Amino acid sequence: MILLESHNTIIQDVLTDRFERPSRADIQFVDYDNVRFHLSTQEAKTVLLLSMSIQCWPDLAKYGAREHLQEVYGSLLLGEGETEPEYQVSIRIDLEALPEGPEDRAELISKLSHLKSTTMSAPFLAAFSEQSSLQANFKDAAGAQQSDLGGQGGEKKGDLKIIKYREEEAIFIQASHDRVTVIFSTVFKEETDRVYGRVFLQEFVDARRLQSLQSAPQVQYSNREPPLEIRHLPGLKNGEDWGYVTFILSPRHFSNPATAQSAINRIQLFRDYLHYHIKCSKAYMHSRMRHRVAEFLKVLNRAKPEVAVAERKTASGRTFRTR
Amino acid sequence: MSRQAPLVIDNGTGYTKMGFAGNSEPSFVFPTVIATHQTAGAGGGGRAPPPVAGKPSHLASKRGIEDLDFYIGDEAVVNSKTYDLHYPIKHGQIENWDHMERFWEQSIFKYLRAEPEDHYVLLTEPPLNPPENRENTAEIMFESFNVQGLYIAVQAVLALAASWTSSKVAERTLTGVVIDSGDGVTHTIPVAEGYVIGSSIKHVPIAGRDITSFVQQLLRDRGDSASIPPEDSMRVAEKIKEDYTYVCQDIVKEFKKYDADPYKYFARFSGEHSVTGRKYDIDVGYERFLAPEIFFNPEIYSSDFLTPLPEVVDTVIQTSPIDVRRGLYKNIVLSGGSTMFKDFGKRLQRDVKNIVDGRIAGSETRSGSLMKSSGVEVNVISHKRQRYAVWYGGSLMASTPEFFNVSHSRVDYEEYGPSLVRRFSVFGSSS
Amino acid sequence: MPAYHSSYNDDPSVRQVGNTAILPISTKVRGPAPIASDPSQPDIIEEALDLFRANCLFRNFEIKGPADRLLIYLILFISECLTKLAPTPGRPSPGYQEATKVLQTLAVDSFALPGDAGFPLNSLYHAPGSRPDADALRSYLTQTRTELALRLADRLYPPEQTMGPDGQPTGQTGARAAKPSKWWMSFQKRRFMGRSLGSA
Repeated sequence: MILLESHNTIIQDVLTDRFERPSRADIQFVDYDNVRFHLSTQEAKTVLLLSMSIQCWPDLAKYGAREHLQEVYGSLLLGEGETEPEYQVSIRIDLEALPEGPEDRAELISKLSHLKSTTMSAPFLAAFSEQSSLQANFKDAAGAQQSDLGGQGGEKKGDLKIIKYREEEAIFIQASHDRVTVIFSTVFKEETDRVYGRVFLQEFVDARRLQSLQSAPQVQYSNREPPLEIRHLPGLKNGEDWGYVTFILSPRHFSNPATAQSAINRIQLFRDYLHYHIKCSKAYMHSRMRHRVAEFLKVLNRAKPEVAVAERKTASGRTFRTR
Repeated sequence: MSRQAPLVIDNGTGYTKMGFAGNSEPSFVFPTVIATHQTAGAGGGGRAPPPVAGKPSHLASKRGIEDLDFYIGDEAVVNSKTYDLHYPIKHGQIENWDHMERFWEQSIFKYLRAEPEDHYVLLTEPPLNPPENRENTAEIMFESFNVQGLYIAVQAVLALAASWTSSKVAERTLTGVVIDSGDGVTHTIPVAEGYVIGSSIKHVPIAGRDITSFVQQLLRDRGDSASIPPEDSMRVAEKIKEDYTYVCQDIVKEFKKYDADPYKYFARFSGEHSVTGRKYDIDVGYERFLAPEIFFNPEIYSSDFLTPLPEVVDTVIQTSPIDVRRGLYKNIVLSGGSTMFKDFGKRLQRDVKNIVDGRIAGSETRSGSLMKSSGVEVNVISHKRQRYAVWYGGSLMASTPEFFNVSHSRVDYEEYGPSLVRRFSVFGSSS
Repeated sequence: MPAYHSSYNDDPSVRQVGNTAILPISTKVRGPAPIASDPSQPDIIEEALDLFRANCLFRNFEIKGPADRLLIYLILFISECLTKLAPTPGRPSPGYQEATKVLQTLAVDSFALPGDAGFPLNSLYHAPGSRPDADALRSYLTQTRTELALRLADRLYPPEQTMGPDGQPTGQTGARAAKPSKWWMSFQKRRFMGRSLGSA
């Protein structure tokens, strides 16, 4: 498994099962980035209530998350007044009013299991549409191709959207006329992780030199110092533990809705992807170490002097001969 | 920061049960198996060495990603044709740490979708797990996954805690005998106040897999297996075991019941060929009560293990310290899928009680009928959460606020190192 | 719970030949056997038929009295009967009429007595003390075998219940089954105590 999946497996499993055989449920589970889910049957066996609590909801709501959810889930989404207490989003699924065909059902399940990523995509979508309106207003589109890297004043830019998706980490999204810049701040709690992280992120930069990966978004990694785009923001931490990853998405990454969605799904899981791979690399290193230790032990065992075969005698003084 | 629900992971020899604390059922139950890619020349018993990283230019193009190319659980079984299957846990203990580390990696990231840095983790271990294994586990959890905190609980103790849900349980005690029967082995484990009495543990080499194969054998003897496609034979036997069997009180009487009213007792199983989809029917008969009978009369199945389960339970209690025996007889707790047969608890209770009463009567006679015993209470407890009792016990414990105090935290680990987990504090004990 | 024992072990009035009990049976077959006082009560043959399927599963059996020896003998004989009726390649199991005949022949066929060279359980059975005793035992066993064969055939070919239009049994019984019941035949491969009479 290289990429993390964007849907939630538990939602998918449980719904697939419950769609066939409705029964009571009361399950609490989580997703990445401090997201909590609660799937329950409160009114009746056939009415499932799926609630989600997401830490950065105030940020997301600012960028139209609820409207976006409304658009995707339609009447399934419960209004703010009806939302389960302690959660921010509630979806009510009536098992007696399901679509008929198996494909329709599978699609609904998939849609529901993407609840978190759908919610998180609101600010991205907002940035994408801002970009297209900026592009329309920008007179000299061709000239802008050269003035790359960083925001040398004068250019008109969209709002800087800040999503504090974890306790100390945030995503910054900014649209400009020819691109959308996404910056992640991430913290490494351990020194080992930081080293792994740096090597890993360096790979991104290297990998882009490959012919086949030319179309991938540009990635920059800076350690310690926040990149220029967000340097003016107050309260940014800089220190050894901090890393900033910048993605530059150009219109071709989000011009069509399907690619846009997959770009969003990948990008919002980037931090988890990074940490997952740091852990995988550690596991890989560990297995190399274990392998090496086993090899060394073999060598050591070979180096043992042979034990001289001592003559063994029975009580009566006879000897055993081993052949 | 509000604490995220701890992860509860019960890695058993056959199946892994995973989920979040506070739930009543594990979210995932799948075989503890990992499918890694076949490596050329991996024969000769040894694992081929991991590929060595190339020169540091254009690393991405040169370095293999074989270490990420694997599946676990059901997906592993599906891909068994092109991948090699490995079972990292043998006899309840982790044998291959490379595989286990990767198994956890995918369990946590792909299935539970949790960032381990945000969570406490509760793992389980078999009784008599060597401390080195605990240390290895702790190393992986803290060093690889950076978990916030870790608690390694003994499965039997969790099973006892799970029985607190039963209405039969009056007081919440951690003293009792746990009969844990999964797929491979059945353990009878006496626990006194949260500590396993290691010297008295007994294993019975009869469990789920044996029952399945006994059903298969009975079908074969009757000639009914002719209509089952050979590749489905095991699956059909399993299905019959799960859907039709029960524990009877007396074999001869049960045979008579079948003679008297065959239409009530004989059942019919309808199967479908897994490949061709052809339908077939099989009669289900005496195996309905004979299959679980091998716990009570192992003789009818095995030629080398002959001690009935009730006798094993009695021996286990009799070899335990005398001051806890009463408590042990009073609280015999069932755990695991192979104890789910209908009336299993009732029969076990009756048989153990008979043994105990017989012994009491014997010693009363020997005392010249001068001494009278007040009798010993025998209680076998079965409850709703029996199938995943260990996991459920873990879920219960991890959802108490106390859990965070008894767990080993990340700070402690950094202070003391892996030997930290050798110390072991019990829930419910005054600490 | 070990294998099942005969309930006649504790009756001290029973005559023994060697150490095998000569228990009364209720039968119409002629012979020297004592006739059971109450034909409605189950006798040793009924007991053997009842315990056959359960005891067949066991490999170990602790003999608790002379009646157990007779029980073992009869159970082993049932096994032999089933082997006789089992289908072999090219020859399916016989029908009821033919099976009765086959079993009758088997019952009166020559067989080994305890003490004879061909008897499989000589370590557990004492030989009859004298020639007349041996003759008496032989004729008693022949009679018991014949009666057992008759009753076994009845059990092996149960009358099939007639089905009502709803697929439920009506409680009335119809003709006898054409093949021996597979619920019995399945025990043919199991050997009680790992032995068989083995006389051909």
